[in-house]
Parts: sequence; structure tokens; C-alpha cells
Amino acid sequence: MTRATVCLALSLLLGGRVLRAQSASELLGQGVRHYQALEYDAAAALLEQSLGRDSAAGVADSLRARALSYLAATELFRGQRDSAVAAFRQLVLLNPHYRPDELIFPPQVTNLFQEVRRATRAIAVAVPPVTELRPRLEGFFTARVLASSLADVAVTLAQEDGTPVRELYKGTVADSVVVTWDGRTAAGALADNGRYLLRVTPRSPTPDGPRARQVLLEVKQEPPDTLPWPPDLTTPPLLPERTSGAPAFRSLAAGLVVGAAAVALPSLLAQGKDATGARFAVGAAVGISGFVGFFARKPRPLEANVRANASLRETWKKKLEAVRTENATRLRSIRLVVRAGPETIAGRGSP
Amino acid sequence: MRTVALIGLVALAAPAVARSQGRPTLAFRGDAGFVWVRSDSAPAGVGGAGPVRIRGPVLGGEGRLVFSQFAVGVGLLSGTLQNAGQTVKRDLIEGRLLVAARPVPWLEMSVGPFVRAYVTDSSTERWVFWQARARVDAPIVTASLTSYVELWRALSSQVNLVGGAGRVQGGEAGVVYRPPQRPYVLRLTYRVDDAVVRAVGSGSETLEAISLAVIVGGW
Repeated sequence: MTRATVCLALSLLLGGRVLRAQSASELLGQGVRHYQALEYDAAAALLEQSLGRDSAAGVADSLRARALSYLAATELFRGQRDSAVAAFRQLVLLNPHYRPDELIFPPQVTNLFQEVRRATRAIAVAVPPVTELRPRLEGFFTARVLASSLADVAVTLAQEDGTPVRELYKGTVADSVVVTWDGRTAAGALADNGRYLLRVTPRSPTPDGPRARQVLLEVKQEPPDTLPWPPDLTTPPLLPERTSGAPAFRSLAAGLVVGAAAVALPSLLAQGKDATGARFAVGAAVGISGFVGFFARKPRPLEANVRANASLRETWKKKLEAVRTENATRLRSIRLVVRAGPETIAGRGSP
Repeated sequence: MRTVALIGLVALAAPAVARSQGRPTLAFRGDAGFVWVRSDSAPAGVGGAGPVRIRGPVLGGEGRLVFSQFAVGVGLLSGTLQNAGQTVKRDLIEGRLLVAARPVPWLEMSVGPFVRAYVTDSSTERWVFWQARARVDAPIVTASLTSYVELWRALSSQVNLVGGAGRVQGGEAGVVYRPPQRPYVLRLTYRVDDAVVRAVGSGSETLEAISLAVIVGGW
């Protein structure tokens, strides 16, 4: 292999890499400059390259529309009318609402575009990437349906598996129409979290008619912060409403134990001696004292505490009701966040 | 011995009084009761025909000087006891000194000498012993009705009987009533003391008493 062969191979290899390194927008810019310099062949080559470049990543629609406009005009001036028509058809299908700038392109170009637009029936749908709405309170999700020519369409919302959710619009679209959605299903319920398809479908499909378009919507409910429930009423702050039973039983126990002790003292301290009955008298007196204490200290209601607790409970109930009302109001103002995916042709899956 | 005992008593009382704060208060107790004595010790069983049972009313009193949680006191009790046939008659005299402390509100501990004498026209049987007492209060109705149990035992004892003094112990139980808005307190008590004469076969003396007391002042 000679040195010249090696150099040629390297230059071809590097040249290809350099060419690929140029982005679609640079190629478009170069193509536009050649078009303006009336170098239509070079312009056509560069514009076609720009349209083919980055196809995997997807050229931005605005760039693509601009490239198609210049390519159609270039082809027209090159005498390739069919190619110009094909480019304009792609442009209409890409964006039915797009119009070539009449300050840039001469009338023969714009006239051809109008001719192609009338002959090419296309629809499209444009949605904001993110929409936040409060169902029944404020905001709507809006979608703009575009048509290249008069079209009779139905705009529907369905779950990702195809289950219908709501029909949003049914009728003709002359140029464009704005369709709104309040975040609710046909039954009036708030849309659940999940993925939905906003679909624009021709009502009378024909082989040469526009193809249905759809946008994948990711819907997520974002419930508002609610107030915490007031803590349960316990003791404290509630006051005891009855006296405790423990003191009564302590009194009874003290009386009975000491009374029994009085009776048992001779047996414990003077065993084997005949004790008199005096101990029974004292034991009985102490035991009776225990019963007196028991009844004197038995549990009884504490009226002042009962009244104070009633007031506390009333206040607590009012607080509870206020929180319940406030939370109900807040829950009604639940936020719905709708994130839109790219527009695709219905039935083709992901773009 | 008496001198030593008195010195010991003062030695016990002095620190207690010194530690206490506030002005001391006086309290008095007057007792009216009835005493039963069962004696089978040699001199008591006069006549030698088995145990002697004598009984009779007694009157007594005790005064205390109370220093917050501590108190010193002196008590006296006296009465004439007879048997059922009134053939045996003795005078009963009891006297005591005490130093008391109340470490917790429901417990009083005291110590002090105690003297008991049975006096007849011809002889006197005299018991002298040092008592250690513990009293537990059990309130029934706070501040108005309280029951209590008190037990004691002699730390040392003497008696002028041939056998000498053996184990001496006793206890009492009762109830204290504080009438509302009255300056006095009423107390109903049953007590039993048992003193054993050491010599084999010399027997013992058991005293039972029931008494109603009126207490004035902060006991």
C-alpha cells in the first residue's frame, strides 16, 4: 500500500466524520445561503442533508418546517415541480398550520404551497407540555387542533388501554380550534392518576384523508396539604369527673385491718392467755370506722369538673368541625397536573 | 441505773429537739378506761389458788412537748383493781417517760422507761423496763378519722419478784376521731401487755385495757 493510498483513505474517513459532525441547523444555514445565492443544486443537496441529519434524535419541527420550505422553493426553481410538491406535502403533514413567509418566498412558491395545502388533508394537535388546573375552580387543559383544510374531527380522551374517558369535541375544523378539558371524566369524576391518550380522529376516514393524531398525557393528582386533626381529648386537659374509688377502699382496708389487729393482739402478744371481750368492742369500732370512711369517700361526681369538661368538649368539637370544613374545602381544590408527551400518529405507538 | 437511764433519755431527746425547727407545742391526753389483769406470778397469785383476775377503772394522762417531728413526754395512769369477789384488791400505778420521733407522717417511734406497780397494803410488785415502741397510723378519713396500731417490746426489764423479769411486750390498736372545728381529739384504744416472770413455773402477768381518751393540742 503506497503512502498516497493511505492518505486518501484517511482523508475520506476524516472527511466523512467532519461532515457528520455538522449539525442539521448548520447544514440548513448553509443551504439557505446557497439558495439566496441562487446556487440551487448545492442548496438542494445541503437541505436534503439537513433533513436527513439527526433523524434518529429528531430534528426540531420548526427547523424541519423551515428546511422543507426552502427545499420546496429550491426544487421549484430547479424545475423539479414534483419534488417541490412532495416537500410541501411533507410540510403540511408536519404542521398543517404552517405558512411559508411571504416576505421571503415569491408568490409562485407560496401559491404552490397553498395549492398543495388544499390538496393535502392533514390534522395536528398542539398541547402545552405541562398544565396545572384545579378542577371546577380554575384552569383548563387546552389543546389546539389544527387542520390544513376543512376537516370533521372528534377529539376524545381515553385511557392508555383505550377505555373512553370523555369526548371533548366533535365537529369541523376550518383552520384551528381550541379544545378544553376540565380534568373530569364523562361521569363528572376527577380523572385518576395515570396515562391518557388525547386523540384527534377524522369522523369520516378516507384513504386520502388526514390520519388520526394523538398525544400521550400523564395525569397526576396533587392533593393539597390538609390540616391535622386536633388531638383527642384526654386527661389532662380533661379534669376527672368523679373522685377516685381508691381512697374509699383504702379507708375500708385501714379500718378492717386495724380492727382485726385489735382482735388479734392477745393471740400475737400474749399467747395462751384468756383475753377479755374488750378487744372485740374496739375491733368492731375500728372496723365500723372503716366502713364509715368507705362511704364518706366513695366515688362521687365532681360537678365543677363536669361543667369545665363540657366546655372543653364543646370547644374541641368546634375545632374539629372547623378542621373538617377547611379540609373539605382544600380537598375540593385538588390540583391536577397534566404532562403531555409528543404528538404521534394514532395507531403507530410511540413516535 | 436510773441516773444512766435519765442521761440516756436526755441524750436521745437533745439532738431531736435541737434539730427540730419552730416553737414547741404542748399536748395533753386524758384517759378513762377499764383494766383487766390476769396474774399467775407468785406474789400476784396471792393465796396460791391459781391465777388471779382483777379488774377496775383507771384514770390517766400524758403530756407531751412537741418539737415538729420530735416529742418528749411523760405519762401516768392509776386505778384500783379488784377481783370479782372483792377479796383481792390492788392499786395499779403506771408511769412512763418517752422520746418520740416521727420520721414519716404515718410512723412514730419512741423509746423510754416504763414503770408499773401493783400496790397492796403489805407489798408492792414493781416492774421497770425500757420500751421501744413503733406506731403506724392508717388514715380512714383524712384529717378526721385515723386508725392506728402500736407495738412495743422491752429492751431491758426488772421486777422485784423472785424469778426476775423475762420477756415483756405489748401492743395496742385503736381509732382516733377529730371532730370538725373542735380543739380536741377523741381516741378509743384497746391494749394488751404481757410480762413473763423468768423462773420456770413463775407465770406471767397479762394486762388488758380499754380506754377512751381526750387529746388536746398537736399530738
